[in-house]
Amino acid sequence: MINFLTWFFAVLFVIVVVAWYLSYTAARLDRLHVRLSGTLAALDARLVRRAEAALELANSGLLDGATSLILGGAAVDSLESPDEYGEAREIAENDLTEALDVSLSRHTVDDLRSRGAVGEEHLARIVSACNRVQLARRFHNDAVTDVRRVRRKWAITLFRLAGHTPLPHTIEFDDEMPEHLSREPAAG
Amino acid sequence: MRIGIVCPYSFDVPGGVQFHVRDLAEYFIGQGHHVSVLAPADSETALPDYVVSAGRATAVRYNGSVARLNFGPVAAAKVNRWLDAGEFDVLHLHEPLTPSVSVLALMAADGPIVATFHTSMVRSRSMQAAFPIFRPSLEKIAGRIAVSEDARRTVTTHIGGDAVVIPNGVFVARFANARHVARWTGTPTRPTIAFLGRMGEPRKGLPVLAAALPDLLAQVPGLRVLVAGPGDPEEITEGMPAKVVAALEFLGAVSDEEKAELLASVDVYVAPNTGGESFGIILIEAMSAGACVLASDIAAFSRVLDGGRSGALFRNEQPGDLAAVLLSLLRDPARRGSLAAAGRARAARFDWSVVANQIMAVYETVIEGRLAARSEPRTRWNRLLHGGPSW
Repeated sequence: MINFLTWFFAVLFVIVVVAWYLSYTAARLDRLHVRLSGTLAALDARLVRRAEAALELANSGLLDGATSLILGGAAVDSLESPDEYGEAREIAENDLTEALDVSLSRHTVDDLRSRGAVGEEHLARIVSACNRVQLARRFHNDAVTDVRRVRRKWAITLFRLAGHTPLPHTIEFDDEMPEHLSREPAAG
Repeated sequence: MRIGIVCPYSFDVPGGVQFHVRDLAEYFIGQGHHVSVLAPADSETALPDYVVSAGRATAVRYNGSVARLNFGPVAAAKVNRWLDAGEFDVLHLHEPLTPSVSVLALMAADGPIVATFHTSMVRSRSMQAAFPIFRPSLEKIAGRIAVSEDARRTVTTHIGGDAVVIPNGVFVARFANARHVARWTGTPTRPTIAFLGRMGEPRKGLPVLAAALPDLLAQVPGLRVLVAGPGDPEEITEGMPAKVVAALEFLGAVSDEEKAELLASVDVYVAPNTGGESFGIILIEAMSAGACVLASDIAAFSRVLDGGRSGALFRNEQPGDLAAVLLSLLRDPARRGSLAAAGRARAARFDWSVVANQIMAVYETVIEGRLAARSEPRTRWNRLLHGGPSW
């Protein structure tokens, strides 16, 4: 009888420990998924703001016609790209980065600066938007790295704690600041 | 915005992290934000009114050096009370791998968390042992900042993922407006150079400078070497040639104001540090003051000086090279002037107005992410675990 009770409590103890570990791990994973969805939404908002800043500059009449077309086209492509992240979106954002770099040549930047407050304001908005896209993308990719590491744990794969949530992927596109803007002290 | 900043090191003693926290807090307060700083401090230490003491610090040997830290259940309770009372929009932890109040705050907090990594650490046995327990807390950090590339490498190797590099800040104006002081200003026959720092600490590089002096004095007999910083001159000059000792002038420990004046007055500021520097804030202060900088080419200094464009570099731990480069600088006032001008322009990048704006952009990004996450429909797991284990 004693023997039976000992075994009973031993098994019960193991079950409790395993149950605690599973719920702990599930909660940890859930917190990471919440962080992940937040960083993704933040990145999305920052990308929209960058495209809007680019579009405003393109429509401001401060640029020559050809540059306006290049920049405006890329900005609209970014704004109209599908919400979900995937190759199409990454290509659109890459193109906008390139369009910004090409449009804001040394001459254009000097010209905009010479127009006083209006030009400076447009440039400042673009510098700020680009800087924040970099931050948002890095923080999102950090969250992805954390999620992917935790999802490799045996308990999560064995007990399918992640449910049907797909494994996240880092978002990769060129988010460099236009070359001739990065020479200036970068402001927030 | 309500900002909570946690500093793991005691405010009883000055240090790089403490100064960074103090300056950042004062800058944000000046911008109209509400800032509260939590840090260990003795009850006798006079604290600025925005600093809350987490209790008395204990000197502990951790990761190869002695640090004054704060831990234990009393400190943890204090951290919890501070977090509850603060209702912060963002929590900014410094050095979250140091076992002090930053770790306690990270364990207890739930909200947008930003962490700044200051030092480059070598992975230690104690850290490896504690890491599995600590890992889930580190996952709460939504935005990681490193003050230098070396600190960033600490993040990538120890934690995984990445960090944005935002350098240390300097109040450039405090140095840029420093007066020239006649007794430290060089003349063509009696040029002045300055060394700043703890003279007894070999990695600050005073021995390298001293070894270069015999050659230099042979060429420029009137050279004056102004040495500022704590230390015992007699101990340092022991065994040095009499000619070298005669050229050295010891100023002892100097105030911030005197430091700025010294940097603004001398012909060349020499930083012969042999290593162990992860950033080099003194170089930025010197550039702000308008000094012509000559530094050893260790990685941190080379980066601050933009690879030699904003100040001259010599090969680390080579007195011969130091003497040669310094001599050419002393004989070429035009080059000194152009380096000083380039240095001033470079220093503007590290002004608190620029650096704090970048940090604010990080806060805003992290807060935006948290707000977006909250407005998302509750996930299956959220529902399932509602009321489940709390942290």
